[in-house]
Amino acid sequence: MGGSPAGQPPAIVVDGLCKEYGKVRAVDGVSFQVRRGEIYALLGPNGAGKTSTVEILEGHRRRSGGSVRVLGFDPGAGDRRFRERVGIVLQSGGIDAELTVWEMVSLYAGLYARPRDVAQTIEQVGLTAKRRAKARTLSGGQVRRLDLALALIGDPEVLFLDEPTTGFDPSARRDAWDMIAGLRRSGTTVLLTSHYLDEVQRLADRVGVMSHGHLLEESTPDALGGRDVSGTVISFRLPEQLRASEIPAGPWDQPEDLAGEFTMHTDEPTRVLLALTQWAVGHGVELPGLTVVRPSLEDVYLRITGQAGVGAGDGH
Amino acid sequence: MATEVARRSRPPVVLALGQVRYQLVLLLRSPLGLFLSIVFPLLLLVCLKVITPARPVDGLPYAQWLTPAMCAFCLLNACYVTAIIGIVLAREEGILKRLRGTPLPAWTYLAGRSGSAFVTSVIASGVIIATGVAFFNVSMIWHALGYFAAAAFLGIVCFFLLGAAVTTVVAKSETALPIAFGTMLPLAFISGVFFAVSHPPAWLHDLASAFPVAPITRAMEDSFKPATQSWPMPVSGLLVVLGWSAAAVVVIALAFRWEPGPAPAARGLGRSRHWLRRWHHAP
Repeated sequence: MGGSPAGQPPAIVVDGLCKEYGKVRAVDGVSFQVRRGEIYALLGPNGAGKTSTVEILEGHRRRSGGSVRVLGFDPGAGDRRFRERVGIVLQSGGIDAELTVWEMVSLYAGLYARPRDVAQTIEQVGLTAKRRAKARTLSGGQVRRLDLALALIGDPEVLFLDEPTTGFDPSARRDAWDMIAGLRRSGTTVLLTSHYLDEVQRLADRVGVMSHGHLLEESTPDALGGRDVSGTVISFRLPEQLRASEIPAGPWDQPEDLAGEFTMHTDEPTRVLLALTQWAVGHGVELPGLTVVRPSLEDVYLRITGQAGVGAGDGH
Repeated sequence: MATEVARRSRPPVVLALGQVRYQLVLLLRSPLGLFLSIVFPLLLLVCLKVITPARPVDGLPYAQWLTPAMCAFCLLNACYVTAIIGIVLAREEGILKRLRGTPLPAWTYLAGRSGSAFVTSVIASGVIIATGVAFFNVSMIWHALGYFAAAAFLGIVCFFLLGAAVTTVVAKSETALPIAFGTMLPLAFISGVFFAVSHPPAWLHDLASAFPVAPITRAMEDSFKPATQSWPMPVSGLLVVLGWSAAAVVVIALAFRWEPGPAPAARGLGRSRHWLRRWHHAP
């Protein structure tokens, strides 16, 4: 967990944020806080309101309601002192094709009061070998690295990453993850959006799940949807020596024939397992095919966002 | 992350000069920009001089009229056309949005573009005049050169502001070039940029006089006549130029866009429709 020193105010405070396009609420009463030095992920399907939320925090978009503070500033006020202290990685675009990597990074370094070192920043994103190459000759992954370099060059305290690895091949994603994880060591606060579960699991200290403009749940990636304790599936096959009616800690879902698997969904896997295994050991038998499966992050995610779809649709 | 060190933003003037340099670098690397601003007017100067019969204009050799007229054409290309194409491209590619997320004040971007348009105009006009003097026996009218420079400066400012204002109604980069030339070329024709319009029909004269291209072109042309002894732009012409410039400033202040896509209201609506579809199709 990226804890923040006691007494330091949160880097980002969002309270009751709303964004309306015409009559549709793209963001509907979202509240969350991001501590200093924390990596916070907004996770959700396309159209969930993630980008609208982030762009309001970046100062690119005006909010319709609620309050927002980033480093104590209202991003909508367009204060230069605010922009000195944040870095933004856009979803796409914004690169001059005819400038070289070095020229782009130098150009942006010249806009900030206290920029980082150009050569060092290019090195950090792994573009040193390409520093003299024009942007139009870079691969997609290299352009995203340049994106990150441009966001980092002002030495930001808060970094916004909107879907930082969308469209990456697997190895480019690993590289990007390593770079973002490296920011944690430098104490940068990061707000990222993603619809990749593995990305969130790998990077984020905390995650907020968004769907249809609502923030549905907020937790650590491991505990999302009570995943760390609830909904565990235990299954086994009944040995010939034992009778189905004697299985403890039921009710179990019985198979059609006795050679099949008995299964149970439980929020108390420890208690159930203990009873089950004590019973088997007491009879001196092994339980064939005994498995204990935690629900995958994907299962939990689909469950959370699926429920929201029904609930939110009612109100429309 | 040393937050304790105060971040004192760079002076806007320094940032604006940096933007001028940035735009000049971009221009040097763009064949279209250089062609429009320098090569195109120079080609036209040579071609028109060669194919047009040696008929005097207002009692002076043809090239004496054509050279300042082609300088006016330079300004239209370097300021108006280049502003529209350059700003719309930068906007649609997300470059403006990225810059907007930095401490760069909004006006310094436009200052950078106008500064680069100024430098380009001066160089292009210099090349045109030098060519006229060297090859077409054009005489320098030294006592009116100040008038020429002042009229050209007004043109640079006015044409750039108009170009920046027009970008607010250009929806996408594909339409930038047609809109730029579609508005500029007809005006240039009726305003005496390509042909000396000696005795136009009254309605055409009135139409041309309502736009800033005619008074500026006329003043630049008159500044190359030996008989010109005073500021060659009538007050009415000056008011037209200043009026259009002021209107352009208002449009820029109210409607200049930093984000790609059509005007914000339309984009918000389009996005919400898209979003609505997803909503209804959600499980």
